[in-house]
Amino acid sequence: MNYTLQFGQVTEFLPYLAGGAWLSLQIAFLAFCGGMVIGAFGAMAKTFGGRVVRGITAAYITFFMNTPQLVQIFFIYFALPDAGILLSSYEAVLIGMTLNAGAYLTEIQRAGFQSVHRNEMEAAETLGMSLLQRVRYVIMPHIAKVLFPPLSNQYILMTLGTSMAAIFGVEELTGRAFNINAETFRSIEVFSITAVFYIALTLVASMSLGLAGRYLFRAKMRLI
Amino acid sequence: MFKLLMKTVVAAFTTAVILSPVTGEARTLDEILSSKKLIVGVNPTLPPLGNFNEKNEIVGFDVDLSQKLADMLGVELEVVKVGSPDRIPFVATGKIDYVMGAMTRNPTRAKIIDFTVPAHTEVFGVLTTEGKPYASYKDLDAAGVKLVQVRGTTPLKFIKENVSKAEVLLLDNYPDAVRALAQGRGDAMIDVIDFVGEHMNKHKDTKWHVVKAPVNVYFCALGVAKGNSSLKDWLNVALFELHRDGFIDETWKKWFGIDMLYSVSPSPYF
Repeated sequence: MNYTLQFGQVTEFLPYLAGGAWLSLQIAFLAFCGGMVIGAFGAMAKTFGGRVVRGITAAYITFFMNTPQLVQIFFIYFALPDAGILLSSYEAVLIGMTLNAGAYLTEIQRAGFQSVHRNEMEAAETLGMSLLQRVRYVIMPHIAKVLFPPLSNQYILMTLGTSMAAIFGVEELTGRAFNINAETFRSIEVFSITAVFYIALTLVASMSLGLAGRYLFRAKMRLI
Repeated sequence: MFKLLMKTVVAAFTTAVILSPVTGEARTLDEILSSKKLIVGVNPTLPPLGNFNEKNEIVGFDVDLSQKLADMLGVELEVVKVGSPDRIPFVATGKIDYVMGAMTRNPTRAKIIDFTVPAHTEVFGVLTTEGKPYASYKDLDAAGVKLVQVRGTTPLKFIKENVSKAEVLLLDNYPDAVRALAQGRGDAMIDVIDFVGEHMNKHKDTKWHVVKAPVNVYFCALGVAKGNSSLKDWLNVALFELHRDGFIDETWKKWFGIDMLYSVSPSPYF
């Protein structure tokens, strides 16, 4: 290959890329938190709900797990305005990612709910605990340890998934990389630096989550 | 489009001319007539000027105009696919008789090839919707104005230099950008407006408005080999007639979906 790497033109954009990385992190974190809330209610609905509630939850999960996230956000961004709902790029991406994460996190948490032994649930019921109390005092302590690793994985996947936001004009890490690439045409340099940023984002996340897992639950988690 | 093209063309041309031996001479009008064939270079990556159809043939405004010119000469038309970097060497070496494809007339190019009278214009201007108060692109240079642009296109440099106070929403392609504008995600777009005509037409409920004062108007012509005056002189006369009888305007409307924004006023003196 006859190509001379020239990082000089790209290094001046490092702060610009770092700002994009910060935005990616924000989107991933907010969408994950929102998804966790949806997931908790979704898991409760699927485990304890009546037929109708379970049906609705199942439909939601089926839709969001079986269509590409990109298509979901396209729908929110470009189709909803025709129905009079105009969301900004950032809002559309955040809502799209949250709803998508909600479906996956429902499934993960539901698996946790089901791992709790029936006897314990029945014991709690005999003690007169309400549903929310059962979830809070019986289920959560049990499943926190079990669910921590898959939840961490989901979070990492979501961090990488934020790159989709670029298509909708959110100037996060990938969007900014596109812009620099269009300006400098130094594709190899721009995208290798961008890749390093993503690796840093995910490594820092997985290491801190791994450490937290070891400390909080004595879970055997790999740090990298 | 043209600025980027221009830079590439000039750069590529310089290398091409130095590196490639001259393989042929431009054909005169007489040679074209006796060979019964007019060979035209069209760039198939610039719809609706030139584009591949489903049968993989090149079609578009440039092809229709060339077909008309070939008919007027009474010869066959042969369309040759050219790209931005190689199209000027193609003319200079006589592989094609003339080249089209948003060939903006400019002094740099005119050093190397000759141009006919303008075949059409391109308006680099401001597209907005009715009711917006902009009278010139300068009005867009204010806080609170949101432009919708396509990532990686040349107007971005212009915006950075001249309209720096406006916020810019970058999307990845023209259909998305025009739709975003139609949906009210932004106030205006600065680009070559002619080329977004087909996308504008898809949003029938949107009342589009092209700001009257353009940023710039580019005159695009047919490029012939330097000194090939026998062909150029005939083309000038033919283009004058085609402007005058409305053929060019109709063909433009057919392909672009809108009238030529800045029409060429044909002058009989050239």
